[in-house]
Amino acid sequence: MKGNSSLKFEDHFQLSSADLQKILSLSLSRGGDFSEVFLEYKTYNLINMEEDIIKETAESISLGLGIRVLSGEKTGYGYTNDLSIKGVKKAALTAASIASSPRIQAASPLKLSRLEHNFYPVLRSPHLENLEKKISLVKNCYSAAMNLSSKIKKVKVSFVDQTQQVRVINSEGLDIRDARPLIKLVCLAIAEKKNKREAGYSGGGGRVGLEYFDKTLPPEEIGQDAAKEALELLEAVLPPAGEMPVVLAPGHSGVLVHEAVGHLLEADFNRKKTSIFWDKMGKKVASSQVSIYDDPTIPHFRGSYNIDDEGTIPTKTLLIDRGNLTGLLQDRLSARLMNEPCTGHGRRQDYTFIPIPRMSNTYIDRGEHTPEEIIFSVKKGFYAQKYQGGQVEDSGKFTFSVSSGYLIQDGKLTAPVKQATLIGTNIDILNKIEMIGSDLEFGLQTGTCGKEGQSMPVNDGCPTIKIARMTVGGQN
Amino acid sequence: MTAERAQLKLTELAEDLVSLGSRKGADEIEVSILDGYEFSVDVRWGKIENLVEAGSRALGLRVIKEKRTAFASSSDLSRETLERLVENAVKRAALSSPDEFSGLPSLSSQQIDILSLHLFDPEISKLDSKEKIALALETERIALEDKRITNSHGASFETKEIKSVLANSNGFLREYKQTLCGLSLGLQAGETDSRVEDYWFSTKRHFRELEPPEKVARNAVRRTVRQLSPRKIKTQKVPVIFEPMMTSWLLGFLFVCISGVSIYQKTSFLAGKLDKRIGNSRVNVIDNGIMSGLLGTRPFDAEGVPCQRTVVVDKGILKNYLCNTYAARKLKAKSTGNSTGTGVAPNNFYLEPGETSPEKIISSLEKGLILIRTLGHGLNPVTGDISRGAFGLWVEKGEVVYPVSEVTISGNLGEILNNIEAIGNDLEFRSPVCGPTIQIRELTVAGE
Repeated sequence: MKGNSSLKFEDHFQLSSADLQKILSLSLSRGGDFSEVFLEYKTYNLINMEEDIIKETAESISLGLGIRVLSGEKTGYGYTNDLSIKGVKKAALTAASIASSPRIQAASPLKLSRLEHNFYPVLRSPHLENLEKKISLVKNCYSAAMNLSSKIKKVKVSFVDQTQQVRVINSEGLDIRDARPLIKLVCLAIAEKKNKREAGYSGGGGRVGLEYFDKTLPPEEIGQDAAKEALELLEAVLPPAGEMPVVLAPGHSGVLVHEAVGHLLEADFNRKKTSIFWDKMGKKVASSQVSIYDDPTIPHFRGSYNIDDEGTIPTKTLLIDRGNLTGLLQDRLSARLMNEPCTGHGRRQDYTFIPIPRMSNTYIDRGEHTPEEIIFSVKKGFYAQKYQGGQVEDSGKFTFSVSSGYLIQDGKLTAPVKQATLIGTNIDILNKIEMIGSDLEFGLQTGTCGKEGQSMPVNDGCPTIKIARMTVGGQN
Repeated sequence: MTAERAQLKLTELAEDLVSLGSRKGADEIEVSILDGYEFSVDVRWGKIENLVEAGSRALGLRVIKEKRTAFASSSDLSRETLERLVENAVKRAALSSPDEFSGLPSLSSQQIDILSLHLFDPEISKLDSKEKIALALETERIALEDKRITNSHGASFETKEIKSVLANSNGFLREYKQTLCGLSLGLQAGETDSRVEDYWFSTKRHFRELEPPEKVARNAVRRTVRQLSPRKIKTQKVPVIFEPMMTSWLLGFLFVCISGVSIYQKTSFLAGKLDKRIGNSRVNVIDNGIMSGLLGTRPFDAEGVPCQRTVVVDKGILKNYLCNTYAARKLKAKSTGNSTGTGVAPNNFYLEPGETSPEKIISSLEKGLILIRTLGHGLNPVTGDISRGAFGLWVEKGEVVYPVSEVTISGNLGEILNNIEAIGNDLEFRSPVCGPTIQIRELTVAGE
């Protein structure tokens, strides 16, 4: 299947650097103080398997550009997939119209930046691998789930690969590129016993090539994990309800740090003073065992990037240092308005969106306790293992939906538990963290975070954590 | 705009690709094109934050060869790219498995009169930017006059104009235009460490039907400040009243559970329940894609099947699943005009109203919770289990006594449908999925 998918990135845009330079100047023609063009070419492939057959495959192409003009606190934005000079000029003038200042600045000459780092070297870009190879991964995952037990009645496997090529140029002369591979293999398994039916889920991937499935996580393991979870949930009891000690499993529980802390440390919410953290910089907001990082530079992780979507080289950012609030996730606009350094956390779903501060890979750093001693310290409580997701609002109130966990009785994990909800207010819960394990792990490389209608690949992690008391929602 | 010329070109492009697909060996091919224009403005504390204006197009195609299916889509509408995508899809179809249920719907003899659906408002394209910005500014300004409001997430006004074209190798070729406009506002009240927040919005197809700034602002303020000084409550089982927005949320979950795709995939607890009782006799649920001018209205679905009125639940009995062509063939049923392509989506999907006013429902409640917002996920279609973070108003002797926060509600959709004790008369079609106020006999509310 040859075609122009092997074209160089620039060749998808019939725009020379000189054209782009003119576009940057045109977008400042109403007096804006900064302008930027985000060019994107993204290919996407999908394979679905269910009912024992490869049901469908899909191929998708996204090509377009977005032009942004800043004028003080205001942002003007135009995007287009009409890449004729006329179409692009129209988008530039739309963005330009946000400003109305007599002081017209010229755009600096573009200077190409070459990156010295690559956080996701791959043997071969996943979109260039042949489809048959990807289909065999899907089939192997499917059979492993289906064959685990006769109680597994239904399996669904999807494989997605995506390659996003971006180029960011701006009126300060920046001209920088990134090519980001991203793959994901996910499995849903449904187990049945008498009239009971439960679903298990697993998956893997990241900014990796297909070699990941040979070396790091075989597709069979993904299938088996999903099936095992479904089988175990058949035996699960409904959770207890009320306040009790809660132990969070390592890895998957990273969704806690993502929801309860990460979002509210995104700079826009603090600049606008809507986040509960806005007036707490330098203050103690968590138990002194808690340190939290966001790190876009972890090799091959789903949330990583060589440059953010404003062209900034990202930095590992310490958000909470032994209980004290020390950092925010900054994009260009918030950093400028708050007079802080930009941390390289300006991300956007695609060229149709304005970049905003986002998380990448967020985690609670390891502590001193063994996971065994943490569980042993709880007489009666709840162990939260896997999650469907979570949500937070600016006031710090958050919830997580726990899909599977265990009861803790006399320091041991006992009956498996399904479908519980944890709820709390972030600073309150952060201060109730009593013990942190030494077993830092990360969640499945399949997570997606939503904010203001934009979905971004992220990952999060944490060690085993004990929270002294937390409200568990259940039916018993 | 050169609307006429663009229109001509898009239907021609769709037809060209259909015939190209047939020439390249596809047994069946379907091409859809969206041509959209959007405007949005966000204001906060009286100033513009973001102004976005853009036009964009996207094309999707489905190819079937020897009962094997391949999909493709592109925002690059150059002929070269599109022709390559068609060729690739025909070749790629060979790698899928043959599936006797695949294929396009046959051409329906009946077609809905598009103009009678009132999906397009010409007034929207005549609004100028200043007018649109002023609406957002005015909405926020009115809300901020209330001194209990301590911060603003801002107000937004947006408009969309979308043209949809669909062509297939069974001879279907139709297009329609639709408009949307929306005004919304998010607010906070209380000091930093005890903030509460909420929002309100109005979305309509016709500008003159949009709630005016005063109404959006007053509602956002009322919904926010009523949560100030919340209490936690003890864990207990109590009657719960769902406000209409919460009933809509519950109906959204019901939709997932009665979607033909979930049924044939056996991922819903309602699989195998056709013609059986799934709720008490108060429960009537309808999907109707042909109600004039509503948000979930469309003349035909993503496969060109005419939309219709489908009774989903009749006096508690499950009568129909909502299907696209594929799910319908799997379930030996007929497509209900709910296709989105591979999946299904609601048209106007609603719980029929009852006769009691919401005020009467609340005043008859001895003790219980009015559910006003939920937070989080916690919906499991396989079991029907629900577990969510919740915000509410505590009621004693028929009166709201204080707001409640940091609780969770849990229950099961199957049980909830059997335990609806009252249905309000306050159904409004604010979103494609909606319902009136309802009262549930008992749910577990977990707190302290």
